Amino acid sequence: MTAAARTPVAADPLDAYVAELAAELHGPARAKARLLAEIRDGLADTVAAHSEGGAPRRPALDAALREFGTPGELAPSCQRELTVAQVRHTAGTVALTAPLLLAGWLLSWHAGGADGWLPRAAQLLAGCLTVVAVLAALPAVATLAATGPLARRLPTPDRLPALAAWTGTVTALAMGAAGLALAVTAPLATAWPLLALAAAVTVASHALVAGSARTCRRCARPPAAVDA
Amino acid sequence: MKSDSVRGHLDGMLLAVLEAGPLHGYAIIAAVQRRSGGTVELRTGTIYPALNRLERIGLLSSSWESVGERRRRCYQLTDAGQGALAGERRAWQEFTTAIGSVLNPSPAT
Repeated sequence: MTAAARTPVAADPLDAYVAELAAELHGPARAKARLLAEIRDGLADTVAAHSEGGAPRRPALDAALREFGTPGELAPSCQRELTVAQVRHTAGTVALTAPLLLAGWLLSWHAGGADGWLPRAAQLLAGCLTVVAVLAALPAVATLAATGPLARRLPTPDRLPALAAWTGTVTALAMGAAGLALAVTAPLATAWPLLALAAAVTVASHALVAGSARTCRRCARPPAAVDA
Repeated sequence: MKSDSVRGHLDGMLLAVLEAGPLHGYAIIAAVQRRSGGTVELRTGTIYPALNRLERIGLLSSSWESVGERRRRCYQLTDAGQGALAGERRAWQEFTTAIGSVLNPSPAT
């Protein structure tokens, strides 16, 4: 089913306009909702300006839409900004969860109590994967800087969304595998509550990063149609 | 004036109309059109993502405010935005001076 087919038909022309634009955009829900709310307000103001002096609503609406631009004309510039917002969301999620993961793993390691070679081996494997996630936090922090105030002086690289998407994906995979390793071996360890806690933190981090990275990959995809 | 010609100067125009004080989206559009005498042809909806971008890079700040009966997001220049506007003005002056001296050379050159 296409995005347009999923969009409910809105009775109000302004709602229909916003719904058509919304169907073409991907990005963080809050940023998208805020942008669409501003656009709807702006379009309503434009219609009101064209209705001044008692002009009929339909011609005023048509004139406002010509001036404002169609959803197809607005979508590329809106998507560019939402893509950057998504890149920052994914980078922020990686940068925040990776240290949390490291703290959880260090806690379980130093608490000891993992008897036998299998729990120790799994903890070691989880540690290696945690290092991968922590290393991924470094480009994530650089991405946050490059798309924030630094963007006044440095152009944002075209490939940054793809880089952020794949950094997030690799981090999510590392977190998922680390969480699985800890979860499988937790019952074998004497200090199993700590390992179970570390596994839960790791799996929760995996879910957060994987969801954000999936949306980021969608945003980073080139548009299917080239705007005329 | 076609929108392609305007696009590269959109940031400077948005910063300039906000110099006098905070404005919401439609008031910003109206100010640009008023100052240009209606000659700037712009798909006005495109200013909203531009305002979001200028806020992200710290040149503008914004807040929800009641304007009339509705709540609208109002934008204002930050200190960094003031500096960027001065830079835009300087660059524009240098550009028009350079191009002007090629298009309209003085008799001595």
